[in-house]
Amino acid sequence: MVIQAKALHKRYGGVVAVESLNFSVEKGRCYGLVGPNGAGKTTTMKMVYCIVLPTSGSLHVFGMDVLREPRRIKARLGVVPQENNLDPDLTTWQNLMVYARYFGLPRQLARERCREQLDFMHLSERAGTPVPDLSGGMKRRLIMSRALVNDPELIILDEPTTGLDPQVRHLIWDKLLELKDRGITLLMTTHYMDEAQKLCDEIIIMDQARRIDEGSPAELIRRHLPPYVLEVRASRGLAADILARFPGFSHQESGQSLYFYAGAAADFDGILSAWPRAEHVLRPASLEDVFLKLTGREIRA
Amino acid sequence: MRNGLLSVTPAFFKVWLRNAQVYVALLKFNIIPALVEPMLFILVFGLGLGSYISEIEGVPYIKFVAAGILGSASIMQATFECTYGSFFRMKIQNTFEGMISTPISAGEVGLAEILWGASRGFFNSVLVLSALLLLGIVNHWQAVFAPLFMFLAAFNFAALAIMVTSRIAQMEYFRFYFAGFVLPAQFLCGTFFPISRFPEPVQLFAWVIPFTSYVDITRSLMLDRLSWRLGLEAIYALATTLLFAEIAVRSMHKRLVT
Repeated sequence: MVIQAKALHKRYGGVVAVESLNFSVEKGRCYGLVGPNGAGKTTTMKMVYCIVLPTSGSLHVFGMDVLREPRRIKARLGVVPQENNLDPDLTTWQNLMVYARYFGLPRQLARERCREQLDFMHLSERAGTPVPDLSGGMKRRLIMSRALVNDPELIILDEPTTGLDPQVRHLIWDKLLELKDRGITLLMTTHYMDEAQKLCDEIIIMDQARRIDEGSPAELIRRHLPPYVLEVRASRGLAADILARFPGFSHQESGQSLYFYAGAAADFDGILSAWPRAEHVLRPASLEDVFLKLTGREIRA
Repeated sequence: MRNGLLSVTPAFFKVWLRNAQVYVALLKFNIIPALVEPMLFILVFGLGLGSYISEIEGVPYIKFVAAGILGSASIMQATFECTYGSFFRMKIQNTFEGMISTPISAGEVGLAEILWGASRGFFNSVLVLSALLLLGIVNHWQAVFAPLFMFLAAFNFAALAIMVTSRIAQMEYFRFYFAGFVLPAQFLCGTFFPISRFPEPVQLFAWVIPFTSYVDITRSLMLDRLSWRLGLEAIYALATTLLFAEIAVRSMHKRLVT
């Protein structure tokens, strides 16, 4: 086990950030923590990389207690934080070299690793650029390179692709899959369910400080939803009409949309033939549907 | 003991090196402005005010005030570095969070910041002392030890500054710290005139602030007036400096690892 959390709690004053969390992470697999903002994902990750201390429960990383051996744990992992914390006073190259020094790499090895990682993230041409002159996507790639200089066994990524253009997102996805193929364990958070579905072997859904379910993307979909979804754009009046005519159809309402769930695509024929001109999409159920079903479609105050 | 000075490993020096690297890259912005204030003080107190005062404690005013100019230049460098500078790295740039995501500990970041502030005070005191020597204001050989005590004074103020920085939510609180402590210390600790001018309670208060001892020791070195009392002052000043550093390092740990 790379990570093992048992009855993990984190409280800040009176606010419970993480409650009774149990989970374990196996070597060489990619785990995704998903959940609404404030669900406790970032706090959980920060406990894993030892900058937030658990209030109670136990958390072991590489078999070591986070409270006792933070230095030895941190030496073996790479962190891609949610907020950019690159050193703006230094260049791309210096950022990596300074970081390599924090890990105690000998100078020659540090140089090799930094060159390798810049190359891996396609940043070699930007080695001399000061950080403030990098684009958002380059900064993100640099943070990825930086997380790799110590050749980590576990990489922790907090929303690695938020705010990036599709090209950079795809590059980062490719690289993460490549790292996973090398046997590196990944623990990430994301708000993009397509990303979670694509990268993660195992997904832990969190809401309001607790774990509410866990499984592979396919398992989660199977467990919570029929395989097909019909999404109909419907005003309040139309929605009432459809629901009156098809009572008992498994469905959810959200804003201007109605979501119907069924075991076969043909089950929607009745609705579609009654309202042939209604704007709609018929598609397989996705992780996003599961997420919204479990955590609610509505914005919370 | 777990998060205090005793928990710090030599790895802290890597954080000091990072600061030094940035300092060197921006050298011209760092050195020239830092010299303006002490040069202005020499001009104002030496040539300006000094020409109205014949002697203080048996020496020309400019010779008396040299230690004060040196001291205030050192503590100001350390204070600015470890208040606005450290706060900026901590809260705005999130640099500290990046550091403690590696084997570097929060206490090591704290001590490195203090040592860095002290180093800036030291560099500055060397520059100012060189100017004082060149101008012939200082001419006793013992003065070469002055930067050592200026380093300690700067270390003291850097530790105090980190105690404040690690506790405040927003930069504006530094204004209270400067108005309530730094400026009074800069002027009341025997820097620009002897504290024997003050009523006794104020004198006592001035001696509580270790800066008074550091200035007195430096002045005695510069004027070649060594006495046994300086030993006691040195012990007191060093002990408080160590205490402040211990508190500051713990406090930084508490701030960064929540």
